[in-house]
Amino acid sequence: MRKDNKIELMAPAGNFDSLQAALDNGADSIYFGVEQLNMRARASVNFTMDDLVEIVERCKAKEVRSYLTLNTIIFDHDLKLIKLLIDNAKSAGITAVIAMDQSVIMYAKEVGMEVHISTQLNITNIETVKFYSHFADTMVMARELSLRQVKAIVDGIKKEDVRGPSGNLIEVEIFGHGALCMAVSGKCYLSLHAQNSSANRGACKQECRRAYEVKDLETGNILKIDNEYIMSPKDLSVINFLDELIDTGAMVLKIEGRGRAPEYVATVIKTYRKAIDSYYEGNYTQEKVGEWMDDLRTVYNRDFWGGYLYGKELGEWSDTSGSQATQKKTYIAKGRHYYPKPQIAEFLMEAHDMKVGDKLLITGPTTGAQEFELKSMMVNDAVAQEAKRGDLVTFPLDFKIRPSDSLYKIEKTEFAK
Amino acid sequence: MIVITFQRNKCIGCNYCVENAPNNWVMSSIDGKASLLESKEKKGFYTLKTYDDAIYIENKSAQDNCPAKLITVKKI
Repeated sequence: MRKDNKIELMAPAGNFDSLQAALDNGADSIYFGVEQLNMRARASVNFTMDDLVEIVERCKAKEVRSYLTLNTIIFDHDLKLIKLLIDNAKSAGITAVIAMDQSVIMYAKEVGMEVHISTQLNITNIETVKFYSHFADTMVMARELSLRQVKAIVDGIKKEDVRGPSGNLIEVEIFGHGALCMAVSGKCYLSLHAQNSSANRGACKQECRRAYEVKDLETGNILKIDNEYIMSPKDLSVINFLDELIDTGAMVLKIEGRGRAPEYVATVIKTYRKAIDSYYEGNYTQEKVGEWMDDLRTVYNRDFWGGYLYGKELGEWSDTSGSQATQKKTYIAKGRHYYPKPQIAEFLMEAHDMKVGDKLLITGPTTGAQEFELKSMMVNDAVAQEAKRGDLVTFPLDFKIRPSDSLYKIEKTEFAK
Repeated sequence: MIVITFQRNKCIGCNYCVENAPNNWVMSSIDGKASLLESKEKKGFYTLKTYDDAIYIENKSAQDNCPAKLITVKKI
């Protein structure tokens, strides 16, 4: 199944823009949701059933595996849709489904669709791996396990020869980068209690990301705490101990973020691709880690920590409500035309301004996410240094753009050094 | 008159509307989304108009409890 013995880099795809960004930047596999039965039902614009064929086509062209997430809790009224989704995924050629509910696991097994066990099932020991090995070849471990515990499970799989339906040894998958949930394996009821909005049906409203105070109701005293964001963990990143993580024997590294923008997917996947390749080439160094960390900080993050993988450290909490990214994007123009022979892109300025030397980003469903520096441009057919709203702008570009593309200016934020 | 509108395509199938107003809502076993009974569809929006004022309170709570905020109930 696997071309080489490298750990598989799995990328999130919330829409075609992010899917393309993942494919262009070195993902080995991608995961995505369709319709409402996935953990990002509310947060991201999901694909529909009709998109399955195109997703598979784009993935196959790059020899990338595709996984469909069907990992919410399932009610009786969902059963028909689940079966239809699995049938369609199978006939479209999707590699596997990622499941939590036993009804999904059972039906997929029945029709011969490969199953991956979702982190929502909270696997924390070798016996549970054996239990699910009757159904699945790949299992995501609970995010609360330490590296030592993960290694013990992988060693146990080899020692006890635990194999899945395919006949191969069970592969262990770990969450490597992205948002961490304050609840154990995402089993959170905060949104449900506060806003009737069930996280376990993909409708998390991020209650944990807000600032809170702790008040003694008897006295009215407000407890002094040094951080108001008492439930918002920093984001997970394993880039600084990727060597130790790969040494556990885990075979899949999952990147979180189906709700994230395409440039997020592009940056994170590109960075982890470099890090993984460096490890196998024997030149993974702490100096490079520093550079990679800076790259990862350019896109959405709540600052980073190593999650629970080091076991001893307890939670580290974010101290801001939103992102601490060192860069931000501002929308400026809409794609108009690409002249392939002279390799010139034409955009119509719709907001703000841009000047030669600016760092720019183009995103779109076919283009993905591409960053570059503006070296020269023509504004309304004359060479110019600056363009304003309403201007028709052309500049040399070595890749094709489309009318569905958006042009953004990349600028530093207050978090930049 | 009571007017209920429902933007069905974004429904996540949580079942809350059925729990709150079982006389007007059912879960579709075809696509797992809620269906507003006796409603008319136009461009993805389903509308039910009725002179039965008795259904107002139940459906108002369906509106309040919809996590995806897809239901509006108006008395006109």
